[in-house]
Amino acid sequence: MPEKKCTILVCQGTGCISGGAEQILNSLETELVRQNLSGAMQIKHAGCHGFCQRGPLVVIEPEGIFYTKVTPNDIPDIVHSLQPDTVPVERLLYYDTTINRPIKSFRDIPFYYKQQRLVLRNCGVINPENIDDALAAGGYQALRKALAMKPTEIIEEIKKSGLRGLGGAGFPTGRKWEAAFQAPGKDKYIICNGDEGDPGAFQDRSVLEGDPHSVLEGMIIAGFAIGARHGYAYVRNEYPFAVHRLGIAIKQARKRGFLGKNILGSKFSFDVEIFQGAGAFVCGESTALVLSIEGKRGMPRPLPRPRTTEVGLWDKPTLLNNVKTYANIPLIINHGSQWFASRGSEKSKGTAIFSLTGKVVNSGLIEVTMGTRLREIIYDIGGGIPDGRAFKAVQTGGPSGGCLPPELLNMPVDFDSLTAAGSMMGSGGMVVMDQDTCMVDIARYFLDFTQRESCGQCIPCRIGTKQMFDILDNITQGRGKPEDIDTLLELGNSIKDASLCALGQSAPNPVLSTIRYFRDEYEAHIYEGHCPAGVCHGCL
Amino acid sequence: MSKVTINIDGKEVQAESGQTVLDTALANGIYIPHLCHHPELKPRGVCRLCLMEMADGELITACRMPVIAGMVVKTKTKKVDKAIRPTVELLIAYHHDTCRGCPAIGKCELQTVMSHLKIDRKRVRRLRPPPAKKPLDKMNSSFDYDPNRCVLCGVCINTCEDIHGVSLLYYVGRGHETKVAFYGDEKKCESCLECLARCPVGGLMLKKPVEVRH
Ligand SMILES: Cc1cc2nc3c(=O)[nH]c(=O)nc-3n(C[C@H](O)[C@H](O)[C@H](O)COP(=O)(O)O)c2cc1C
Ligand code: SF4
Ligand code: SF4
Repeated sequence: MPEKKCTILVCQGTGCISGGAEQILNSLETELVRQNLSGAMQIKHAGCHGFCQRGPLVVIEPEGIFYTKVTPNDIPDIVHSLQPDTVPVERLLYYDTTINRPIKSFRDIPFYYKQQRLVLRNCGVINPENIDDALAAGGYQALRKALAMKPTEIIEEIKKSGLRGLGGAGFPTGRKWEAAFQAPGKDKYIICNGDEGDPGAFQDRSVLEGDPHSVLEGMIIAGFAIGARHGYAYVRNEYPFAVHRLGIAIKQARKRGFLGKNILGSKFSFDVEIFQGAGAFVCGESTALVLSIEGKRGMPRPLPRPRTTEVGLWDKPTLLNNVKTYANIPLIINHGSQWFASRGSEKSKGTAIFSLTGKVVNSGLIEVTMGTRLREIIYDIGGGIPDGRAFKAVQTGGPSGGCLPPELLNMPVDFDSLTAAGSMMGSGGMVVMDQDTCMVDIARYFLDFTQRESCGQCIPCRIGTKQMFDILDNITQGRGKPEDIDTLLELGNSIKDASLCALGQSAPNPVLSTIRYFRDEYEAHIYEGHCPAGVCHGCL
Repeated sequence: MSKVTINIDGKEVQAESGQTVLDTALANGIYIPHLCHHPELKPRGVCRLCLMEMADGELITACRMPVIAGMVVKTKTKKVDKAIRPTVELLIAYHHDTCRGCPAIGKCELQTVMSHLKIDRKRVRRLRPPPAKKPLDKMNSSFDYDPNRCVLCGVCINTCEDIHGVSLLYYVGRGHETKVAFYGDEKKCESCLECLARCPVGGLMLKKPVEVRH
């Protein structure tokens, strides 16, 4: 019997590491030696595989055998199963409750095969600390291709692809690049926004941890396209692994000539520096982020003003995009704009990435084609609501988004449909809620976040979010006033219209959307002193 | 400088090109509510009270909008009112409960805004009061700061920046706890008191002469 030759991927995403993935790596190394298999097996440190809820994850390739919730005690059995004439360790496989049996390969698990992993293509697959792994997966081929193109051709491709920024607002990326290209001036900057201050989101972290080279490649191509020589990767302080891995990737890319002077023998020079943000949510806003890099207090600048593409960092033209937006660029350059534009809905192309959490059987990091229905995301990928409870609502976009009711489960999800429904793509948080969730309490939770994170600069947001929070807090404690719903609506619309930046402009969404779809719950609290979900202690 | 004509609330007025809509309006006797605007400072656009409706329905702050020949703006529409009235009501709900003893009496911009909008004090009562009155800040040897009267317009900060290059005063804190304070070396303050002179409300005030008791 010939020896099996396998690659053992051990997820080293933040989620799995906190679950003990580092000890698993150590035990694995020792056990392979003990069982005399170290020659045939290759261990790979991989980035986030996405199914964080089942972590720590270990995947055995080429078969894709998928072990969940692995502990160091399981390692002897896993290694034994790599011996000739053995079977996988059944107790660690993913157990599908709908068909009542374990599934061997992750490729056959609905959580994975219903997804369309483009931006996450390398996450959990390659070793993010090894550039050769990234190169073997096609890394930096798009850069070679781009360097042989004219900047205007690259921008045209991005425009035709229909890519929209994944930082939340969905601004057309190609148009932004064109504006930065056309802005006069020799010194220009590229900024990658990895602030990700929304408490429920972790997709930028996962991309930076799992596939930093794709982000770098996107930034370099952007630099070449608009004529910038310097880039900043703004990563939030609380993301030590992301900073560490991106740092390694930058060093390796410099060594191989993808960064630095005369990239790949061309006349183009470009380098990237990491900037660690102080962690305020508002610093993710583009003008506040620029001020923060300049060493000033991160306070958004009001309109009308010149766009960041004209007057940005150090008053120079600056192109600022989200982590995932950059990670899309190599795909578009490699496969062409047509290929990209053929995916997604009419006005939102490509994929959307969500941190799927809450009352859902399978939670984790997921990527779906734009236009996928909510139902497919929650029931097919997410596996539905656990313990036979009823679905009540799904919150998207974190503090800037809203709550959507069961009636909207068939809604195709993209930038515009979410906004029309009173929510947002925002940070890509997606929290599923069941019958035991109180919608007033949820609104209160998000307003508590925004009222604290408001930069305090403008009146409607500074006092208005605090006021909305106080009213919601009163309602959940059974101290609501009859006119409170009208007051909340009035304040909410005023804050939306009058606030200076998108933080305030979107802060009322959790309140307005829950009043729009779950008004009866507000009324029950206020008029009957009753919390239908049985959550609010002040009114039971 | 060339002249342009614009239309504010149905009235044709002349403006210098490069001027803002707010400055033009004020120069022509048209009042638009504002707190953070000062004629000698760069417009901050933070109080949000000078929002006006453009021809396409968009709301834009008049203080930062340069005049464009032929533009038509409206400052008294329903949409404008719905945006700014609650803002002023919120401000009042969080403001000191009495004008008694306030150094701004007689020249208070907040009172001007309130009477212009005919703010109904009864409506303010539907709002929740602030958590607690904030303590008076003894800023330095010449002036005090009352966070309960400050509207955080930023005029003092910008004034200080204009005079010293870098402002000695700055925002501290976040959310509704934001206030103005000396940032860094307060000993550099020369007590020119220009910040105090420009405060549109009673946020900054001269120290009372110490009463000597027998
Ligand atoms: C309060 C606030 C927080 C934000 N936080 C982020 C963030 O963490 N990451 C991000 O990419 N964009 C964030 N944005 C959006 C950015 O302002 C900007 O639109 C985006 O980074 C542009 O990149 P894109 O075109 O690739 O989407 C935030 C906006 C606001 C108003
Ligand atoms: S809307 Fe909020 S976060 Fe934005 S500038 Fe105003 S106070 Fe600051
Ligand atoms: S600043 Fe002074 S005068 Fe003006 S409203 Fe406040 S307390 Fe009254």
